[in-house]
Amino acid sequence: MENQYVVIELGQEKYAIRIHDVYEVIKMQTITELPNTVSFFEGVINLRGKIVPVISLRKRFGMEEAPVTKSTRIVVVNRDEEQVGIVVDGVTRVTTFTDIQPPPNDFSAVDVSYLSGIGHSEHGLISLLNIPQILMG
Amino acid sequence: MNFGFDRSELMGAFLEEVDEQIQLLEQGLLRLEDHGDSPEVIQSLFRVAHTLKGSSAAMGFEEMKLLVHKMEDVLEQLRQGRLSVTRQMVDILFQCLDRLQYIRNEVVSGGGIQTDTRSVIEALHNLLTDGVLTIVPPSGPRESLVLDEEQASQVDDAIEKGRHVWICEVDINPACEMKFARAHLVLRQLHDMGTVIATLPDLHHLEIDDSQVGQVTYLLDTHLDPDELDQTIREFVDIQAVRIKPFIRQAVGTVTAEMVTIDQPPSVPKDIKRTVHMVRVDVDRLEQLMNLVGELVIDQTRIAQAGKVLRDRYRTDETVGDMEQISHHLIRVVGELQESVMKIRMLPIEQLFNRFPRLVRDLAHSLEKEVHLELVGQETELDRTVIEEISDPLIHLIRNALDHGIEPVEDRKIAGKPTKGTLRIAASHQENQVVITIEDDGAGIDPQKIKASAIRKGIISEQEAEGLTDHDAIQLIYRPGFSTAENISDVSGRGVGMDIVREHIEKLNGLIDVESRVGKGTKFTIKLPLTLAIITGLLVKFGKHTYVLPMGSVVEIVRVPEEEINLVKGQPMAVVRERALPVVWLHDYFGFRRSDRQKKHLSIVIVGVAEKRLGLVVDELIGNQEIVVKPLGSYIGKVEGISGVTILGDGNVAPILDVVGVARLIDSRNAAAGHITV
Repeated sequence: MENQYVVIELGQEKYAIRIHDVYEVIKMQTITELPNTVSFFEGVINLRGKIVPVISLRKRFGMEEAPVTKSTRIVVVNRDEEQVGIVVDGVTRVTTFTDIQPPPNDFSAVDVSYLSGIGHSEHGLISLLNIPQILMG
Repeated sequence: MNFGFDRSELMGAFLEEVDEQIQLLEQGLLRLEDHGDSPEVIQSLFRVAHTLKGSSAAMGFEEMKLLVHKMEDVLEQLRQGRLSVTRQMVDILFQCLDRLQYIRNEVVSGGGIQTDTRSVIEALHNLLTDGVLTIVPPSGPRESLVLDEEQASQVDDAIEKGRHVWICEVDINPACEMKFARAHLVLRQLHDMGTVIATLPDLHHLEIDDSQVGQVTYLLDTHLDPDELDQTIREFVDIQAVRIKPFIRQAVGTVTAEMVTIDQPPSVPKDIKRTVHMVRVDVDRLEQLMNLVGELVIDQTRIAQAGKVLRDRYRTDETVGDMEQISHHLIRVVGELQESVMKIRMLPIEQLFNRFPRLVRDLAHSLEKEVHLELVGQETELDRTVIEEISDPLIHLIRNALDHGIEPVEDRKIAGKPTKGTLRIAASHQENQVVITIEDDGAGIDPQKIKASAIRKGIISEQEAEGLTDHDAIQLIYRPGFSTAENISDVSGRGVGMDIVREHIEKLNGLIDVESRVGKGTKFTIKLPLTLAIITGLLVKFGKHTYVLPMGSVVEIVRVPEEEINLVKGQPMAVVRERALPVVWLHDYFGFRRSDRQKKHLSIVIVGVAEKRLGLVVDELIGNQEIVVKPLGSYIGKVEGISGVTILGDGNVAPILDVVGVARLIDSRNAAAGHITV
């Protein structure tokens, strides 16, 4: 399980999150906004009685907002003792990588600090997300 | 070493006892100071010291034992009438009490005993040697008062019938020419007030000459109080001192007055049965229980909501009816459960009030003022966390009342007031709130002086001061920087001002109000929520967003015609009940769209926290609901204007408005725009 990754979609791009970091994946929910918070912060949801903050990966990456579709998901990741939800366009599958290399500077449209590496799999190359860096305010 | 029992548990029990005994000692000393040589008070003090000596010796706390032992010696002399109560003695005993408290704290922290008890023990010792010599005239060994059987049965009879048996020791002036005659006069008087069972020396022996009459002891069977006796006897000439002590029965048949001094076994507390039924619980467990109940409260609301939906959908299905019944029952049970758990967390405010008599006494002494403290409603219960939080603000208000409120004796005389000032602290329940008032009959707060002082300290400009009403001027006391070093007396010792008081009360979502009349006095009213975890909230809508306003912050809901709202220096204001009220569209601060629909009247929820009042324009009032406060968590951190969130019946999350934060938000925006503060 150590090298298993959840592959998510964001527009045309695909990214991978270490399965170890993932708490669960849920469908889109009503998100309650909180005023005067950072731009990529969406609000909070009720996850079975627990209050979980949610951010938008599109906004985090400075991409255009997209309408919520049937495939929109919230990937809930672990952050210390808490959980944080990340809104993504979709979740495709779980995969493993044969090789992981450090992220090259010009590989993706995204700021390289959000990436922790490039994974090689049978489906090609996928950027690995640096979750702590993405969550950082 | 294994004693076969848990030492830490024993230690816990010991510390609990020490706390209790220290409290009793303090109460006893305060009474001693007020009532002088009252035999009951001395007796009870003695008993407490005796118990404390025993338990500290058993636990091996030598310093504590030695100190208490010396205190006991002094009390013993008091009890025997060889010493009388002096201010100096009470002061020394209070100092001993402080040392005991220090030792207790050192025992808790476990770092060894550092408290120096030598000086107080020495003071006690001096009290014993000096006091005994000067107060009791040197006399040979005293004879005992021996009762015969008839007298003993009279004593029994009196006690059985609920009358008192007092030992009255009367010192006759050695210079008096006719001591025997004096003693007889007193005897005759006492006979009028009850029955004198015996005397020492026996006054019926006619051969007694005056040299044998110095101190006369009367054993009196009466229904009167010692105070009355004392007063009557003192009216005679040549009476130097009167000491009245309760008579304590020793053995059947023969009883001696001297035997009163023999150590009494500590009497069995009356409430021993109650203590057996007590369980000590870790606070964390209670917190956990409270959280679980919180979850239940949410789920119960959700079930009720789901039930409603099902009823609409399957109107004819019997199971739906069953479910509704179950849901109703569940609501009731959860409600009761919630109340019970909350009750466990509740403590009587007495815990806090008990600290005040000593505080007021010490303050009054050091300020050389005379103060009578009235405590009302000690039994009022509130959440333990609330009690902890409110302690500092209350103490500060008491200090202020004594320091700045109640005038020195001379000033009070000139003003035609009783020399003794009154400080009244009262607690009571009003609906879902606790109301605490601190009221003094002192000089009051002079708005003009407050204005002058605020200008001097640069808090407001002279122009601003001119525009202030008296009410608004008094509110200046809450501004940071208003209390400065010059009005902190050395008794307060710490530089907290009214702004800190306000902050504490804000933290509790409470309200504070002050009423003051120059020359008449000042009254602070504090309103606090009963508990912090589950609160009643008012659900409102700003645009499409549902928010919760803590009921404790809601002062009033009003409807105001739109045309009555005017801009004052950039801030919309309305006049409600003759008070200028800042009107706030939270929409503008939270980035919501203001409602397009033009309404004739605006619904305004007047919210307040501490001394501030704001009118929030709301688009819709939904209603009241019990809500469970959930923190935002460390990832989100602090959001200005939001104190937490809650989960509503439909499962959605609603933010809880933090009125203080909202006020801060508005102030900072207004300041940036050059508008007035709200």
